[in-house]
Amino acid sequence: MIGQGNPHTGKTLLFVPGNSFIHRINPLTKLVGLLWLAATTFMLPPMGMAVVFIAAFAFGVIAGAGAVFVRRLVLTVTPFAIALFVIHGLLIKRPDMIDYGLISLSPGGLTYMAHILVRVAALLTASMLFVTTTHPAILLKSLDSHGISPGIAYLISSPLLLIEPFSARARAIRDAQQARGLDLNGSWKARIKAFPALLIPLVTLALSDLDQRASVLDGRAFRARPFRVVLDAPVDQPYERWLRRLLLLALPVQIGLLLWL
Amino acid sequence: MKFDTRTLVLMAIAIVINIVVGQLAVWVKLPLYVDAVGTVLVAILAGPLAGAVTGVLTNVIWGLVSDPTAMAFFPVSLVIGLVAGILAGIGWFRTIGKTLVSAVIIGIISTIVAVPIIVYMFGGVTGAGTDFATAYFVAVGQELINSVAVANLATNLVDKILTCVIAWIIASRMPNRFTASFPFYQKAAA
Repeated sequence: MIGQGNPHTGKTLLFVPGNSFIHRINPLTKLVGLLWLAATTFMLPPMGMAVVFIAAFAFGVIAGAGAVFVRRLVLTVTPFAIALFVIHGLLIKRPDMIDYGLISLSPGGLTYMAHILVRVAALLTASMLFVTTTHPAILLKSLDSHGISPGIAYLISSPLLLIEPFSARARAIRDAQQARGLDLNGSWKARIKAFPALLIPLVTLALSDLDQRASVLDGRAFRARPFRVVLDAPVDQPYERWLRRLLLLALPVQIGLLLWL
Repeated sequence: MKFDTRTLVLMAIAIVINIVVGQLAVWVKLPLYVDAVGTVLVAILAGPLAGAVTGVLTNVIWGLVSDPTAMAFFPVSLVIGLVAGILAGIGWFRTIGKTLVSAVIIGIISTIVAVPIIVYMFGGVTGAGTDFATAYFVAVGQELINSVAVANLATNLVDKILTCVIAWIIASRMPNRFTASFPFYQKAAA
């Protein structure tokens, strides 16, 4: 249950290349900003969340990622909106139900639906702003330049590099199994049987590479030093460092206030 | 705790498997996620901590590359890795029967963790097929939280049974030469 939604988009990265001021902000500052914004969104009234959504969307357009934002918003928010409308607007019995003949609608339910939708949209656009303006490789360089251990850096960077070759390998396995008679359009029983026929070769092939990959890493002594030195670390302005400290300090204070008040 | 290099590589591969498996589920047109196979496999071979880290990083990386809403469900993946590792440590992945019981336990616990996220963060909907079941239970008069719990429990049980059985088949069929360097697995299998 990774995402509960559409499990794969077909495109590996959502990153949109560019040179806007949002692209140039240090990735760690953007990451801390996203964390702060996500926590703050839960404290805000719907109007405040709408402001977050509009601001994040506007910054996304300025960064040249408007089309990606619109596509992702439509893909994610539409099924949510339909399900929320049916469940909260039509099905959950509330005292304010208004009868329109064939259907009964609850204004309170629709208000709640709008509340959830604007929160999802605010969280989605805020995280999209980070994802579309931050290349994972730059994020990794930023983490490296702040003394992250090589093991953690490997765990983050290696999957990012392996997703594309593994997807290609999965497609090759699918084609080969279909050539041997695997039915992907049969009954649900046939499709359940087809699943291990696709998955097990993919996993066993991946595991057969494991020793070789581990030997290469050990051969390079990649954990000989506690951290890696980055020659072209992303620019980290002094004001950004202060901003990060401020936001990190604000997080527990805000959460404490939320629980106390 | 510091993981050895082989465990690190296993975790990295498992994260990619979790992400790519979503594509396989789309190809076979099954309303299942089966996206924790890598997490459970790491938990069986390398223990609960490695499983939990694999689960969390899967959601973070998936969120970074394609679906930001995935990050909201990182506690679910964390718990799947942790519980699968604990169960593997006490020998509950030794036989197919024990694996099925483990799958049911993981399915129930992951549902308990997922339901509050779905209800309080997303208003009880997921944007996926389980919403039809949730809508049905709400329509017959159940409370929203109960409807979400029952709908997700049903999907999760099937999903986790398939996940755990596949992970168990892979782990148990690996040659000794491969599993010998995973002391957690050797101890659990003894």
